[in-house]
Amino acid sequence: MKVVTGVVGNDIHVVANRLIELSLHARGFEVFNLGVNTYLEEFFDAVVETGADILLISSLNGEAEGWSREIKLLKSKYKNLENLVMVIGGNLVVGSADADTIVPKYKNYGFDLVFHQVDLSTGLDTLEEFLKERNK
Amino acid sequence: MSKMNDKLLIDVGSTYFKLCTPTSIEQHLRDFNKGILDDLKYKCGSTIDSYEKDDVHICSSANGGLSTLIIGLTNSFSLKYAKNIAFNSGINIIETVMYQNIQEYSIPSDTIDVIIIVGGINSNSNIFSSDLYSYLNKLNYSNIVYVGSETQAPALKENIENTVILPNIIDNKLHIIEENLKVYLTNLYQEDIVGKEDIKHLYDITSNQIYSTPYIVNKTLPIIHTKFAVVNPYILIDIGGATTDIHYSKDLVDDNIVTENEYDRLVFKKLGVYKSKESLIFAAQNNEFVYELLTHLKVTENIFQEQSQKATKVLMQLAIFLVLCKMSHYKQAYVNLKLLSINSIVLTGGITKVLSSQEIEDIISFFYKKILNSEHNPVTILDSNYDIWTLGAKGK
Repeated sequence: MKVVTGVVGNDIHVVANRLIELSLHARGFEVFNLGVNTYLEEFFDAVVETGADILLISSLNGEAEGWSREIKLLKSKYKNLENLVMVIGGNLVVGSADADTIVPKYKNYGFDLVFHQVDLSTGLDTLEEFLKERNK
Repeated sequence: MSKMNDKLLIDVGSTYFKLCTPTSIEQHLRDFNKGILDDLKYKCGSTIDSYEKDDVHICSSANGGLSTLIIGLTNSFSLKYAKNIAFNSGINIIETVMYQNIQEYSIPSDTIDVIIIVGGINSNSNIFSSDLYSYLNKLNYSNIVYVGSETQAPALKENIENTVILPNIIDNKLHIIEENLKVYLTNLYQEDIVGKEDIKHLYDITSNQIYSTPYIVNKTLPIIHTKFAVVNPYILIDIGGATTDIHYSKDLVDDNIVTENEYDRLVFKKLGVYKSKESLIFAAQNNEFVYELLTHLKVTENIFQEQSQKATKVLMQLAIFLVLCKMSHYKQAYVNLKLLSINSIVLTGGITKVLSSQEIEDIISFFYKKILNSEHNPVTILDSNYDIWTLGAKGK
């Protein structure tokens, strides 16, 4: 399966981004890594160009929240993205908040899976289970 | 005298032609009642006859610039890459079409010289379908080239007559690969120049390939400092009779496209002071600052109707202003240059024969004050002896 990944907005956490890419590769995904400082439109455009099944956005400094509010509006401008699996993970708030508050908020923004302060392996396990269930 | 200097260099523009020998440069207004070759021989026959065909090198920009319409999948990748390559090949983009909304686009009435279709990495299939073919059926075009996902190529070849299939310009890491499309478009541009302006007869006096002038000028840019005190980043503006070319350092754009050449170029096809004069005036009349500029130059709109040296000067000054506007953030265009970072502005072409440094600097300073609200004052350099063209042509 094809995954487009990258770090959203003005966030330069390149090490985490690289670890995500390597882990996805190791699990057999075909990865298109847009790197750090990526804008939302570029994520969706990359999905269209590659025919990706999954969009995995990461964010480590809470930058994601401001950007994620735009997701539904932006995604609605694209045709044929209904089956795209949308995933976000990292540190998704500025300051602190627990997952019970954060996860519903991001799901409401349009994500299928939300990982707030969850370790990478656990997150990817969950993604694989989600895909298995979905493809049954 | 070095072997390099034994060449005769000829540049055929839409209005003038120039001849450069090791000892002189001459410029002649073209006689439009004669073919280019006849005109050249009539005015410079003895010079031309004194050179072997192997030593004559010709370039031309006469009425140059092809038009293109690009159909692509996304703004961030396929359209962006194809636009970059098209502009660098001297092609004038008249429309970009986002494929997913193709049914919403109007149909250009003019014949398009070349249509570029692009989209998807090679493993992406099922991208284009019948709505692409329906749209293409409504267009008038001379050439069509496909540079997208290779899995789609057979279907396009089957459904679109005379499609040229080239390797994808997007690699599997979503990076640009420019070479194949650039070569195709550059050749098309040169064929167009040769075909349109009976330049093919010029092969009677040269055995070398005839190049487009913007291509030659672009070759000069990395070595421009050998002739001029140019400080990077800079732009070079070549205002001709039919078109205006801008060559600029890539440091002046906020873009992440990594290509081999450190200079890009743009061609404004209908912005010239002779053959494209009417288009230039039209563009001027639609610019809200132009009347202020005319007042600044102490003339009125009536100057557009005049046929005088003064009118030509004003038109050239307007052309400088409009070109800078087109490249600035005042007008959202394909490329918006960081004009406040420019250290030098180099001007070449016929403009250097008409305007003085002072007149050019006056307009540039007016532009910076009015449009960018700045006192920034880049150094203006005039290539009044066609050294830029000569350098590039010698290098070729």
